[in-house]
Amino acid sequence: MPVPVVEFSDERLANGLRLIVVEDHLAPVVAVNVWYNVGSKHEEPGKTGFAHLFEHVMFQGSAHVGKAEHMALVQGAGGTLNGTTWLDRTNYFETLPSHQLELALWLEADRMGTLLDALSQENLDNQREVVKNEKRWSYDNRPYGSWNEKILGHLFPDGHPYHHPTIGSMADLDAASVEDVKAFFATYYAPNNAVLSIVGDCDRGTVRALAEKYFGPIASNPSIPPLPDMSLPAVLGTEIRETVEDRVPLPRVYIGFRAPAFGDHRLDALDLASQLLSGGKGSRLHRRLVRDERLAQDVAVFTLPFVGGASVCIGWATVRPGVDVATVERAYLEELERLATEVPSDDELDRAKALTEADELGALARVEERADRLSMFATLCDDPALINTLLPRYLAVTGEQIRDVARLVFRDDNRVVLTYVPKPAGDAAASGEAAA
Amino acid sequence: MSHRGELVAERPVPGTPRPYEFPHTVRTTLPNGLEVVVTPMPERELIAASFAIRAGAADEPDAVGGATVLAARGLTEGTELRDAIALTEAAERLGASLHAEAGWDATSAGLDVPASRLAAAMELLAEVVRRPAFPESEVERMRDERLTDLIQARSDPRRRADEAYVSSIYAPSSPYHRPAGGTAETVATLTSAELRAVHDRAYAPARSALIVAGDVDADVVLRAAEALFGDWTGGPSADAAPIDDTSAVTGRFVRVVHRPGAVQTEIRVGHPGLTRRHPDFHAVSVMGAILGGLFNSRLNMNLREEKGYTYGASAGFDMRRGRGPFTARAAVNTEVTIPALGEFLRELDRIRQDPVSDAELRAARDFLVGVFPLRFETPGPVAGALAGLFVHRLPHDELARYRDAIEAATAEDVLRVAREHIHPDRTAIILVGDHDAFAGALEAEHLGPIEVIRDPEPVQVAPGAADEQAGPVDAVDGGPTEGAEDPDLPGTEDPSDPGSDAADDVAGIGTGA
Repeated sequence: MPVPVVEFSDERLANGLRLIVVEDHLAPVVAVNVWYNVGSKHEEPGKTGFAHLFEHVMFQGSAHVGKAEHMALVQGAGGTLNGTTWLDRTNYFETLPSHQLELALWLEADRMGTLLDALSQENLDNQREVVKNEKRWSYDNRPYGSWNEKILGHLFPDGHPYHHPTIGSMADLDAASVEDVKAFFATYYAPNNAVLSIVGDCDRGTVRALAEKYFGPIASNPSIPPLPDMSLPAVLGTEIRETVEDRVPLPRVYIGFRAPAFGDHRLDALDLASQLLSGGKGSRLHRRLVRDERLAQDVAVFTLPFVGGASVCIGWATVRPGVDVATVERAYLEELERLATEVPSDDELDRAKALTEADELGALARVEERADRLSMFATLCDDPALINTLLPRYLAVTGEQIRDVARLVFRDDNRVVLTYVPKPAGDAAASGEAAA
Repeated sequence: MSHRGELVAERPVPGTPRPYEFPHTVRTTLPNGLEVVVTPMPERELIAASFAIRAGAADEPDAVGGATVLAARGLTEGTELRDAIALTEAAERLGASLHAEAGWDATSAGLDVPASRLAAAMELLAEVVRRPAFPESEVERMRDERLTDLIQARSDPRRRADEAYVSSIYAPSSPYHRPAGGTAETVATLTSAELRAVHDRAYAPARSALIVAGDVDADVVLRAAEALFGDWTGGPSADAAPIDDTSAVTGRFVRVVHRPGAVQTEIRVGHPGLTRRHPDFHAVSVMGAILGGLFNSRLNMNLREEKGYTYGASAGFDMRRGRGPFTARAAVNTEVTIPALGEFLRELDRIRQDPVSDAELRAARDFLVGVFPLRFETPGPVAGALAGLFVHRLPHDELARYRDAIEAATAEDVLRVAREHIHPDRTAIILVGDHDAFAGALEAEHLGPIEVIRDPEPVQVAPGAADEQAGPVDAVDGGPTEGAEDPDLPGTEDPSDPGSDAADDVAGIGTGA
């Protein structure tokens, strides 16, 4: 079952903007996707959450586009759009009927070139409040909502750019100023720090000319500061444990590990290991903890790939009513350790690969996903061809490689164990903003 | 910024739209009544196959509330031929994730599978639909998982708000009053026998459709369907009884679920709405987009982009076979709870007072019409939409005429349907938040009677105590109708699940929360 090869062009405009184009005329739709090589890892102390707040400001207008008009124009053209921020990057994307391609290019170029022309204290203050409500909604007022911040905070030492969460702290969000926006924009939002991927019902030559027309006049920034050295030991060196009282009825154990960086072949094996452990009903953790021994309500294992020093592998199990938390943790870790000692059977591995292959087929069928992957691989690995080579890499992983990476990662001196327990009755103070 | 050059100032004009039609669909009815619906989509190698049955949670007796949802989940938990693990492994060898679920209106089982393995995957689909075993031990586990889920739902402000909302707007006689997945009281009584009874009572070829979309040959699929389902007989063909969707909302009232110290208040405002088959469907879709569906909807522009009260405010109609809820919603920081509530009520009034502007009308229609081809880029959504037509007994040309019907909606239509289907003076208002922080301000608004609910603090429960702790919370939605005809298309996704790898999405475009 071959996944079709994605044929793409890859070039740079004179100002450094990397342009990747895929023609696919199957449906009358086109995806426009911009990745900026800036994320929360670029934030300075005291300015956590700024990269994401800045992303919101990118929707507040530019020289020729009014506040919130970006959304109105794209949706009014029958398109969908969004933007997201993560540790390594910030991305912006639109999917539109193909005859509206030029609109998206114009909008992206206008804010890349002239965002500051429309910047106002009022709009910054408004989006600061929106983002604070996003933080409350996604983290503070959500059961177990602090796990992400706590696990990354333990897996990466204080001072490491991955130590703090992308959403930032309330205090730092409050402190963000118009001057910060100007400096951040001037430093990072330059064409030579961006990848523009266009996938869908378009003509490569026309796209090249349009990219030149809209983005060509934007000058590059020759002095983007390099990141500090982000390397760190492959393993944590010790087990870190924390117990968190939260407004939850059931305990949940989160377990996080340091893992090989994005691009490292061992991470491919670890992704397949995650599939063997928790991918569906037949997976090991699900079968043992949820089905056979009925210790857990649900289980998960997944990797979060990062390029700077280490990725992370995180999992959890929600403890069934009346079950001892320690019993769940022990069973969970036993399954991880079993993977580190025994080579999985060919049948088990083949099933995991068949699912991975089908998932890829489904994901790459959508122009939006293809464009995002191309931008991602170009930005993070300088290798957009990974869109075609990563799946064969997965399919070539051996049982021995899975065992070896499990042995490398699932060590007791390489893990954070975060246990959420119900807050004792009568203690009314909510977990939440105090954590920020 | 001296290093920036001159950019193109003029907004580009759109090119010529490439013509688009919903892909040609072949429909055949087998002698036993099963509809076979096939949509060939060349070069779409991942095939979507779905088996939809007009048997939903709304059709089950109250005493066994949750049986339909549990039965659907039970389809993949073992058949007469193999147990759950063997079934899962068989699907995985094909690269297929087999799933089954039920919502208010329908049950569906389906899978996505590479084209070369479709024949084997269809055999699995037939096996789970026709020959489920509902092993007692698996049923018992699923039942416990559901009871535990109900406990968890109580502690999640979003789910707690949704549960309080539906139980407030529907009369106790209506199934919509409770969760589709059942309450602790009813779920606790379910056994393998009840699930088998659902299968005997509700699963029948004459109430079912097999829908396949992707790079397939319609004749090949039809022959496979005949071989796999042709000898399936029996079961009821008549429709279920009409759904009791009686409203409990006769005036305006407020229910506060008190969460001491909560940093946000989850707001729900509304009342029962209309059925999917209502002739106002398209005009209501346009109206809903303007009020609370688009990113630039009135609610989101007001509460988010002007006031900064929320990450996203939205409103929409959940159109079912019966009158599903109309809900306006947001999560706002605690200090602005009452001002935010005031803005909700003002916007619900305003959409009924004056015609929407030409710009608003155009934006909503252009979005709904323009996004149509994007929705149907891949086989999954195509199969989903066709399942929706089947479940709601909509005409075969419903999707083909969708864009024209949207284009035909006028400002007068929007005003008329707003007046007819939105009732600010007959609404439930649910607030899940720190009552102590806004009690005085709330009373001063004189919005109607106020009831304050104080949930017990969540404490870890002992084994077997689950049913005392749990209350009715709705975790179940979807079914084959999901996504097919939402009037507020962008308004359903969870904008930022911290468990996903894309954190902190800008915009929560038309966020559902």
